[in-house]
Amino acid sequence: MKIGLEVHVALPTHSKLFCSCSTADVDEPNTNICPICMGFPGSKPSLNEEAVRIAKTIANALNCKINQSISFVRKVYFYPDLPKSFQITQLQGSIGLEGEVTLSSSKVHIRRIQIEEDPARVIREAKYTLLDFNRSGIPLVEIVTDPDIVSEDQLREFLFVLRSLLYYIGVDIDKEIKADLNISLAENRVEIKNVTGIKNLVDAARYEIKRQSEIIKSGGVPEKETRSYDEKPQSTISSREKESDEEYGYIYEPDLSEFSVSGLTVPEHIVDARKVSRELAEKHNLDYKTLLELIAFDTEAMSLLRYGLEKSGLPADVVVNALEAKKRFGKAVNEKSLPLLADYIQKGIQIDRDVIMRIEKGMPPAEVEVSNEDTDKYIKEELSANPEFIEKYKKNPKVIDFMVNTVSRKHGIPQKKVADRIKHILAEYLK
Amino acid sequence: MTYVNEFLKKEKPADYYSKLLEELEEKNNKFHAFNVLNKRISDGFPISVKDNICVKGMETTASSKILKGYIPPFSATVIKRLEKDGFSVLGKTNMDEFGFGSFGINCEVPARNPFDETRVAGGSSSGAAVATSIMKYHAAVAESTGGSIAAPASFCGVVGFTPTYGLISRYGLIDYANSLDKIGFMARSSGDIRLLMSKSVGVDPADTTSVDVKLSDVKKEKIVVIDELYDKIDKNIKLSFDSSLSRLSAAGFKVQHVSIPEIDYSVPVYYIISMAEASTNLAKFTGFKYGLKVDDFSKEYNEFFTEAREAFGEEAKRKIILGTFIRGASVRSKYYEKALRIRRIIRDKLSKVLDDSFIISPTMPVLAPKAKEAESFSPIQNYSMDLLTIPPNLCGFPTISLPSDYIDGLPVGLQLTGGQFEDNGLISFGEQWEDSFKYKFKYNIGEL
Amino acid sequence: MEDEEFDRLLRVCRLKVSAEQRKKLKSDADDILHYFDRISEVQCDDIPPAFHSVDIDGRYRKDVPLKFDDVEGILKNTKTHRFFVVGPRI
Repeated sequence: MKIGLEVHVALPTHSKLFCSCSTADVDEPNTNICPICMGFPGSKPSLNEEAVRIAKTIANALNCKINQSISFVRKVYFYPDLPKSFQITQLQGSIGLEGEVTLSSSKVHIRRIQIEEDPARVIREAKYTLLDFNRSGIPLVEIVTDPDIVSEDQLREFLFVLRSLLYYIGVDIDKEIKADLNISLAENRVEIKNVTGIKNLVDAARYEIKRQSEIIKSGGVPEKETRSYDEKPQSTISSREKESDEEYGYIYEPDLSEFSVSGLTVPEHIVDARKVSRELAEKHNLDYKTLLELIAFDTEAMSLLRYGLEKSGLPADVVVNALEAKKRFGKAVNEKSLPLLADYIQKGIQIDRDVIMRIEKGMPPAEVEVSNEDTDKYIKEELSANPEFIEKYKKNPKVIDFMVNTVSRKHGIPQKKVADRIKHILAEYLK
Repeated sequence: MTYVNEFLKKEKPADYYSKLLEELEEKNNKFHAFNVLNKRISDGFPISVKDNICVKGMETTASSKILKGYIPPFSATVIKRLEKDGFSVLGKTNMDEFGFGSFGINCEVPARNPFDETRVAGGSSSGAAVATSIMKYHAAVAESTGGSIAAPASFCGVVGFTPTYGLISRYGLIDYANSLDKIGFMARSSGDIRLLMSKSVGVDPADTTSVDVKLSDVKKEKIVVIDELYDKIDKNIKLSFDSSLSRLSAAGFKVQHVSIPEIDYSVPVYYIISMAEASTNLAKFTGFKYGLKVDDFSKEYNEFFTEAREAFGEEAKRKIILGTFIRGASVRSKYYEKALRIRRIIRDKLSKVLDDSFIISPTMPVLAPKAKEAESFSPIQNYSMDLLTIPPNLCGFPTISLPSDYIDGLPVGLQLTGGQFEDNGLISFGEQWEDSFKYKFKYNIGEL
Repeated sequence: MEDEEFDRLLRVCRLKVSAEQRKKLKSDADDILHYFDRISEVQCDDIPPAFHSVDIDGRYRKDVPLKFDDVEGILKNTKTHRFFVVGPRI
């Protein structure tokens, strides 16, 4: 089995790839538009430097060879959402070539990373389409892999690793990941176009693997074709291909010249973040991807993580918890406040805004030990205030977390203690 | 001498522009120079704009039915620059559809030659040349891909200037072939060209291929004739050209002949590159965002697009089909990529010659043909008419076409080619030429 | 060019022509391609392609958003419905 991917990722720039229109989300359609992203006759593209810089950073993160002089091509096809009836994209002159992503027990080779423009958003109606060109021209990179993935598990792992690698350079593909899947169990390649989201990608692959293996089992050969994925019945459906490679008729984009990328620098902290995460993960037996996400785009977080693990003498899991708090509360979590924060964490107290305020004032966790009797009293009060809770609990024991939180917060009792007592009380009630 | 400065100095009656428009409207019924006249013009030196260059709020169709009704929401950079400097847009001029033609006949109503109405005006900037030829105080903003300024300028007896590629921003130009398109000018004197150039050149952030160069006013004594081109000129044109060369020798220029066999590939190489690019540029016309509209949106989009694209003229269709074929994956290296390689060879060969000389030739190998005759030409006969203008256009070299003779009352043009960014050197040559050769015009609309 | 190939091209180009025009365009295309084939005489595989004939250094645009000053002028050219541009059915 061979699986390859073409992943599309939107780049976080302020303006579009070839014009100065804003990329900000707006409710009203067709407000961030101009003659360029509408493909009006007479308009010409001009290339956004930041988009190329981010794309170069991504190519670096995926260990690609960087093309020092990049160029663009026109890919011609007809569709209502494509303003010029050609998309400006890259081929030989792509920003990144021949990269790789390392998984736990294998490697996925990256064939190419290319910069391209997003088409318009299209809403299909029965008798026409509605088009919103706010999305037209948003910068994308397409990451093209070799067909190196050999199982559903590897596909999942690849997507998660890719997600983390991109996350720390400020590109969040959690919601936005869009990809075409190429899956071949036998000789012919089946392409599944335009699948959105990691879960759908894995589901689509699972379905398609099953579909192809059933054909092979019954003595058939899966045809070379393009399919689309439908998430409701979780199946893939054969779709008519719009254009073939022959018909795209790529030519060099004559409105753009060649661009040197050597002056575009990858911020140093990004290079460091990968190195530091890998080192610390190995040394302290932690998960590399977790660490990478914790110090994403944040040099302060990186040095705090290093300090916490190497110098503070605190247990590694407490440090990781503290860094998670830093992601939410920022500057308040630092080397100075770390010991106090660790106290709260070790006492099982949930870190929220109130706790952070206490820490900022230098206040330790409430010292007064609440007795079991008092704790039980508080719990019973809360239970009688929420008479429907017991019934809910019977159906779904998880609702207990909510009760634990409420009591713990109201009375400053460590969560663990509340949890123990609640279980005790509920056991009595349900006898 | 410049007509612009003369116009500014002269006292103008209050109804100058309304009289001008009145007379133009009447003459336009005969010559079809303008697609649109700007009825609101009230001051400034009148410039006309080829109809493939966008002027905000003024219908711009590139003489194509598929763009009927397109009102650009912006003006081309060159127009903005000129309007800021005392020039006013008088109207949009007729042309071969999208610039596809050498005679100005590939459009609904072809422009006519002011020297003989039964003859073509030349193309593709036909209306620009006719307007310049019939109006005393006027200059034309035109565009050349393979000779579209020089050809009509020579047939209509005016000065046509095609700058070095990239010198004038193309922002706002409706593309024919982007790596070849150049905005340029037509006027009644080289001095006016110098003035227009000085207001228009310079880098534009909106056009990545625009360049930032300081122009030098080079003088060259050596003038080179390329044998392979000389051999293909009509007999009467050759005689006239020889006498121009004698005049130049007498004025102190050294005339030399060289042979550049590769130049024979210029025409097919040019048409391969321009068709490949044109076929992608024309893909955007699908009948719903601007220009011609197909009303029935319930048609499946492929049918809808196909219905809209029936509006293209025959030459446009020919270029779309051939251009699409030659960039197809299986033949791309044989045609498109190979042509790009040969372009480099020809450019390098010509560059060497241009190191210490200008290249000279007639502008067109024939006199302006009768409209009926031009209509009967096969596509290859048509394309071959561009053999003298294509080599410099293919390589981005600047050219100036100067009226140099009148045979049977029809103007003949002389084309001088310079090296890249030697634009001002060509203009100086033109000014020197005009010291001893007076141009003739049959009409002087707007005379003061 | 084979008939089938020519018809495929027409589909790819989204062009429809009358039988008469088809005949003329196809015969022209054959002649022109034959004329183009002359360039096969030139040996130039080692020469890099000239995408432009003038050397141009790519200039980037800074990532600063700027609102276009005549969005209304754009939309006046087109049919709209609730601010959406109306396009043909998919």
